[in-house]
Amino acid sequence: MPILEFQNVSKVYNGVTKALSNVSFSVDEGDFVSIIGPSGSGKSTILRCINRLVDATQGEIYFDGHDINKAGKQELREVRKKIGMIFQHYNLVDRLSVIENVLHGRLGHKSTIAGVIGAYTEQEKETAFSILAMLGLTEQAYKRCDELSGGQKQRVGIARSLMQEPRLILCDEPIASLDPSASKVIMDHLSEINKALKITCIANLHQVDVAMKYAKRIIGLTSGQIVYDGPAQDLSRSKIYEIYQSNEGELITDIRYSYE
Amino acid sequence: MGELAIALHSIDLSEQSKYMKKTRKGKIRTAAKTKSAAALKLTVIALLLLTAIGFLSFDYKKVNAAQAAFSTVQNARVLFAQPRLSYNTVAGIARALFVTFSLGALSTIFGAILGFFGALMCARNISNPTLSNIVRSFVAFIRAVPTILWVLILTVAAGLGSVAAVVGLTFHSAAYLVKAYSESIEEIDSAAIEALKASGASYWQIIFQAVVPSSISYMLAWTFLRFEINFTNAIAVGAAAGAGGIGYDLFMAGSFYFSLRELGFITYVVAAAVIALEALSTKVKAKVG
Repeated sequence: MPILEFQNVSKVYNGVTKALSNVSFSVDEGDFVSIIGPSGSGKSTILRCINRLVDATQGEIYFDGHDINKAGKQELREVRKKIGMIFQHYNLVDRLSVIENVLHGRLGHKSTIAGVIGAYTEQEKETAFSILAMLGLTEQAYKRCDELSGGQKQRVGIARSLMQEPRLILCDEPIASLDPSASKVIMDHLSEINKALKITCIANLHQVDVAMKYAKRIIGLTSGQIVYDGPAQDLSRSKIYEIYQSNEGELITDIRYSYE
Repeated sequence: MGELAIALHSIDLSEQSKYMKKTRKGKIRTAAKTKSAAALKLTVIALLLLTAIGFLSFDYKKVNAAQAAFSTVQNARVLFAQPRLSYNTVAGIARALFVTFSLGALSTIFGAILGFFGALMCARNISNPTLSNIVRSFVAFIRAVPTILWVLILTVAAGLGSVAAVVGLTFHSAAYLVKAYSESIEEIDSAAIEALKASGASYWQIIFQAVVPSSISYMLAWTFLRFEINFTNAIAVGAAAGAGGIGYDLFMAGSFYFSLRELGFITYVVAAAVIALEALSTKVKAKVG
């Protein structure tokens, strides 16, 4: 039983820019899928169609039994509660503390007024702290988010999404702004969350080698169309060149081979 | 540097020169040629011209420049060097100052509350375009009419007095703050808003958990600025709309008692109050920032 299903989804921005055309795929519960493709190929659009930050122009998207494109306001909120999202630029409220940002993950579960005044239960706060402990951020709990390093900010982002108790986590270029060591920490955490908590992960990645190492399955996207959808280990070098529409030796990942 | 210079020298410039634009003097132009630059130039020229015409078309009567300058200095000396109260007591002035302060504070508080909700409807990043445009043009209209005029218009409805003054000042303050607040809100990074939206947060939750924390220090700065403006406006309407306060005393001292010394004293009091306000607001802003 797939948790997420795309059926012939297309997206056109402003009636002219085609971002997705006829994209169909499904994701099983517990899967770790990575979407790769050049900039502007529609990776972010796919993720944002899932939680309706972007409205698909055509086609159906099913998540956990909900027809997302037809969901009303209330149903959409229900759907969004179950889908966590982490971002390239972390998207935290910089002026608030780490723990406040983590607790933001609960807003969808709270009444409007409780959320407005920031009235969280003791239990929610304890959960937040144990999530921070899991990600090694307990010491930073009361720091303002703009005092943190990039890697720490991204871990706050992960903590916030976990706070939602999500079924699915969408990762939009989670490591594109991080150094290699912080990137590894983040990817290891995501992998751990996927395995231990059985939360489905869909990650947009620019680093093909990272995608192949961490994801079970890879979807290759070129100008809004799926050109590869299969297990990570079956992704051939020639297919990578096809996805990025470039010639042998012209990708940054080729550098390693030129030294061998 | 030497090698770079040689390397750069070997680049054929004829290929590039197609893209280069020249100024009228034949130098390579670096500034983008935009409409706004041309408009700015035109505005400056127009202003200079108007200034010239203004000075030429004054009716100078038969003022003796030397004598006029002498009297001005004389009056200024009485005004600023010999301040003295003769018709009011210090306690009376202090009370009047408090009245003016209250007029300013009340209208700022009302204006801030109205302005906040107006700004939520007006800020383009959190409102829909139609609503935003409606609110925008509405407040632009209110702002186009000067504060004092609003107070005078409202005296028709509320009668001369402090009610008309507060309502009139509130009117303009709210419109001013809608613009200031909405621009503060538009400045904030919309990324956090997106993140909260994605997690299923409701509109008001996003406003108070992301928008307000991100823009509160700007909003406070604008509110203080508006308070200073309202305080000085309250002085003016004190006389113009009979709202009382130190403006009324100032008016009486000038137009009724013709007492330059009393005027000077009140002017010093007002200046001191404004400076004190400014110092206070700087302190508060530093704490919040």
